[in-house]
Amino acid sequence: MEIATLAPILLAVLFACLVAGLWVGFALLAVGLVAMTLATSAPAGMVFATKVWGSMTVWDLTALPMFIWMGEILFRSRLASDMFAGLSPLTRRLPGGLLHVNVMGCALFAAVSGSSAATTATVGRMTVPELTRRGYDPRIAIGSLAGSGTFGFLIPPSIILIVYGAATEQSIARLFLAGIGPGLMLAIMFSGYIAIWALRHPDRVPAPEPPLPMAERMRAVGLLAPTVGLIVAVIGSIYLGIASPTEAAVIGVLGAGLLAARGGGLSWQGLAQTLSAATVTTCMIAFILAGASFLTVAMGYTGIPRALASGIAAMDLPAPALLAALMVLFIVLGMVLDGISIVVLTVSIILPMVEAAGIDPIWFGIYLVLVVEMSQITPPVGFNLFVLQRLTGRSIFRIAGFAAPFFALLVAATAILTLFPEIALWLPTTMLNR
Amino acid sequence: MRLFLDRLYAGAFALGAGCLGLIALLVLAQIAGRLIDRVLIWAGLPVLGLAIPSIAEIGAFLFVSAVFLAMAGTLRTGGHVRVTLAAQRLPEGAARGLGVAVIAVALALGLWATWNAIGMVRDSLRFGDVSYGMIPIPLAVPQGVMAAGLALFCVALVDEGWAVLRGRTPAYRAAEAASEVAGDAGERGD
Repeated sequence: MEIATLAPILLAVLFACLVAGLWVGFALLAVGLVAMTLATSAPAGMVFATKVWGSMTVWDLTALPMFIWMGEILFRSRLASDMFAGLSPLTRRLPGGLLHVNVMGCALFAAVSGSSAATTATVGRMTVPELTRRGYDPRIAIGSLAGSGTFGFLIPPSIILIVYGAATEQSIARLFLAGIGPGLMLAIMFSGYIAIWALRHPDRVPAPEPPLPMAERMRAVGLLAPTVGLIVAVIGSIYLGIASPTEAAVIGVLGAGLLAARGGGLSWQGLAQTLSAATVTTCMIAFILAGASFLTVAMGYTGIPRALASGIAAMDLPAPALLAALMVLFIVLGMVLDGISIVVLTVSIILPMVEAAGIDPIWFGIYLVLVVEMSQITPPVGFNLFVLQRLTGRSIFRIAGFAAPFFALLVAATAILTLFPEIALWLPTTMLNR
Repeated sequence: MRLFLDRLYAGAFALGAGCLGLIALLVLAQIAGRLIDRVLIWAGLPVLGLAIPSIAEIGAFLFVSAVFLAMAGTLRTGGHVRVTLAAQRLPEGAARGLGVAVIAVALALGLWATWNAIGMVRDSLRFGDVSYGMIPIPLAVPQGVMAAGLALFCVALVDEGWAVLRGRTPAYRAAEAASEVAGDAGERGD
């Protein structure tokens, strides 16, 4: 069948399945099956079984449940309640004061959690009432939270980067390291914007609070140090080549368990609950990955990715123009789909095109995470907006308005990253190999 | 029947979770073995070379087993993601019709997947395929777990479809709705 007729049919099948509420994994299977039936006489059933089996029996994928488990344990530990107490003494003297707790809290939580909605909800439940009570303008309090809820996914260990790595056969260790530079850059941009905004609108933030004695500040650092130390140890051991991502993740599970047990907050029963929650999340992601692996092969039979890639190559489009066009596509997709589904769904079709344009696949992974997260704060459907709507009772369009400056910062960061790819790609090159 | 099915889902899910726990234990043992060797080298003693043979393969097989054994349980706890916008906005009767249609399509795909997974197991048995590592594991074993997990997933889909047809709320929908409500209550409580 001609690609020109096949492509719209497949798009229609995909759209119909998703909108009807079919589970994403099944929707990907359905599109793959239709594509293979129409495009080739190859036995779809056999291809399905061998491809899914092959793509699931990958050692690196075992890092996925382990990092999710580590996050589940830390989520149930005292980290959430310690966060505000630990961060606020450190930020109260900065221009913008406690608003920076949003940025740092999200960075911290995103490092241990796999979902931007969970991060936004956990941090926001702590900071939004507190910031409002102290007289911060809700517009910047909510806006900075909406923005910060997104960028942390670049800070490893990032579930979405493991999924991208598994779907595209890229090194997960390198992807993790590539995320650190852009993640820190965004944290600085967000904090810098908050500081400048606070200096320009002194009437909308409360007067700076008196500095705390040194002992108080040290106590605050003491609250956060174990968790931060654990995350640094996990990522550091990957960087130094001491541990594979799975090994580092298992050490993370052990460390998180010890931290939680030390606070007296983790019984054996609690540990079983975290394992069960991690199993649900792993199964959900793996189901989508399985569907996507079959769809990728099926798309290969249709020739659509090749046609797109050669089409792009023939157009001789400069890479920035291609990336800008893709950004619009991802933001539209983000209106109906969650981040992980977008990543697995698109890489099967878009990656050959991107590689044909001479773009580094590791760099593209970082770009993809940035853009997917942007889509989570754009109305009418953005998952972070829904979370904030429930948290604050304001309409998602108002919240999107509050978040608009941070959205602009995300776009600016993507542009900077395009101009200076080394921000992402330098650190992985310095990684020590075993 | 209800009790039997619920125990079946829960049992398979617990086995899946156990597979993930086992991966963690094996990797910990592997790391411990390496650390002991480092200490021995430092002390000038001969290394023991303690290592879990074929850990990469065994870990990958455990991962696959965990994923497929947990499929049915994850479905019933509302864990699998889907777009619920249309289901939430339609009037009740239409939403139920759509629910039946969605489950029917899912079941057809699930049966197709199970059938082909069983075919793969049969091929592995016929050719006696084993894994490449130091410990040769018959591939039919983990592949059989995958097929069994998919079959149980189909059973769970039939179970849910039957509930919808009788005008009841399927377990996954109840779980989705509960987490929506719990989120509301939890956040309002603050």
